[in-house]
Amino acid sequence: MGLLENIQKNIADNPILINSEAAFSKFLELGFPDIKNEEWKYTSLKKVISYEYEIEKNTEEISEKEIKSNSLNFHNAIIFLNGKIYSKPKIKGVTISNFEDQNPSFDNAITALNASIASNGYSISVDSNTVVSEPIEILFLTKNSSNNFIQYRNNINVEENSEVKIVEHIKNLSEKICFTNSVTLVKLKKYAKIEHNKLQDNNDNQISIDHTYVDQDKNSISTINTLIFGGLFTRNNLNFTQNGERGESNMNGIVILDNKEFADNHTFMDHKMPNCESNELYKGIYLGRAKGVFNGKIMVQPDAQKINAFQANNNLLLSDNSSINSKPQLEIYADDVKCSHGCTIGQLDENALFYMNTRGISKEDAKAILTFAFASEALDKITIKELSSLARDLMSKKLNVNLSF
Amino acid sequence: MDKKKYMLKINDLKAGIEDVEILKGINLSVNKGEVHAIMGPNGSGKSTLSAVIAGNETYEVNSGSILFDGEDLLDLDPDQRAHKGVFLSFQYPVEIPGISVSNFIKAAITEKRKVLGLGPISAKELLSSMKEKMELLSMKKGYLSRNMNEGFSGGEKKRNEIFQMAMLEPKLAILDETDSGLDIDALRIVANGVNKLKSKENATIIITHYQRLLDYIVPDFVHVLHNGRIIKSGGKELAHELEEKGYDWVTKEADEKWGY
Repeated sequence: MGLLENIQKNIADNPILINSEAAFSKFLELGFPDIKNEEWKYTSLKKVISYEYEIEKNTEEISEKEIKSNSLNFHNAIIFLNGKIYSKPKIKGVTISNFEDQNPSFDNAITALNASIASNGYSISVDSNTVVSEPIEILFLTKNSSNNFIQYRNNINVEENSEVKIVEHIKNLSEKICFTNSVTLVKLKKYAKIEHNKLQDNNDNQISIDHTYVDQDKNSISTINTLIFGGLFTRNNLNFTQNGERGESNMNGIVILDNKEFADNHTFMDHKMPNCESNELYKGIYLGRAKGVFNGKIMVQPDAQKINAFQANNNLLLSDNSSINSKPQLEIYADDVKCSHGCTIGQLDENALFYMNTRGISKEDAKAILTFAFASEALDKITIKELSSLARDLMSKKLNVNLSF
Repeated sequence: MDKKKYMLKINDLKAGIEDVEILKGINLSVNKGEVHAIMGPNGSGKSTLSAVIAGNETYEVNSGSILFDGEDLLDLDPDQRAHKGVFLSFQYPVEIPGISVSNFIKAAITEKRKVLGLGPISAKELLSSMKEKMELLSMKKGYLSRNMNEGFSGGEKKRNEIFQMAMLEPKLAILDETDSGLDIDALRIVANGVNKLKSKENATIIITHYQRLLDYIVPDFVHVLHNGRIIKSGGKELAHELEEKGYDWVTKEADEKWGY
């Protein structure tokens, strides 16, 4: 058996699990994508779907102590335990609930699967003219006695002139695999602003596939920062659509992987309207036998004149056995636009290492400083102080360096 | 001769890249308190010599020794040489985006003190020392928080080299083409900084193509490097002679002697 059979068996046992017949039959029709699918060319799901999973079963109790030690302990936190909301904050001007998608949409096999069987997730709705001053932490904790396949379907709605900051992170507390399939729908009304941080310091029992769709009205600003410091398998799909003029979309990512970890960042920027901007900066550092994939697509539609789109994916390969596949994709149908993209793959600069050595800095420390410096441009985009200092700690731990500067 | 007598004693140093020998037997002795100038036409091996003293692994040392306070530098890594008191001011300082000047200096000083068994220096003490040295080199406020050499003008980069030298207080400073890319005002400031840092206990080697810098930092000895060998040594007047007559008159003689 494998995941597909596990899903079918679970559904046969429990018919009410299905919320959308249409979505489920689409999923069955398409099946899990293989590497013949262009979007999955460098990312094989073969192993991921060959494991045996239970569908949200065999959960174990999670203690208060475990919650506390895995949480960022922000004042505002939505905490999920084994897939279900356990606690949520009360914030003025913000409505938080379990998300029930009455008419779940989907655009591929994986989101179709999510649409068919997801019954949990958060919904955050920010009233108009509301600036949520403190960031909202969203923690998904799981603990299982068997491998587990879990869906989240989330919704964020930010009304006019409002602003919110979010830090989302997943923690698997068990030795068994947790495979998370999540879909997040973000809607920004005019002049709305969001900073959504995805902290993925996953352990090597975590598999994550995430699809986030950001729909922007005019003059809205969205930023998604992705921090990947581990995980057996991670695939992020960020999709931005600008539906009004003068919108701004920002994507920043830091990927540091070691051992046999794998991460794929797939982004799609859809410029539909004129006078908009997008900025994309992904920094990848690969050690051990780690593998990375970056696929950044920018679409500039015929009416989207005066667009400024920037994309960069810079990678450091710090071991002989690590690898990265990086693919920028630009489709431009308007003639008065500024689009730039660049991809670099390299090692640390020998001249810079020697320069630092001559100042008395050891080779090891020089490497650490340069590696940090490499990632810092993306790190600087995070505006939540607690998160950027945590990210620094996680980075130094991951790179096994002690930062004295 | 007593090895300990000289601060730096280079004996028959031969080095190059792969099969190409660039230094063909350098002999040079430097005492503390002295300023030596090494001059020579382009391609004579000046920068190779400074790189080999600092420990650049791009160059292979085929024979000879570089004794520094009696210990062969060739047995040490570049960072260990720095801890012993060797400093190289780069002809082309490297840009290091993502680390500020102050953090860079802090990392360098912290490591040096750790290796030398000195206690940590307080942030306050370090900052006031940095400010003092910045003043010496007429450096603008805000400089400390800029990224290391990133977007610096040629003059700023060179000033930054001397600033690091001031902070690290080396026994032996090698200034590789420090005058290149400097306008006359910057040259004066840099030279003034170097002069103020000079003492009876330290020594300076100035590597330069032109005599210009030597008007400001007056050498005790001038050596002419040509084709990987020191072909002539003299006092400060030699620099003036070279400026006046060019290098031909000394190189011709040497070429005849060595058979080029």
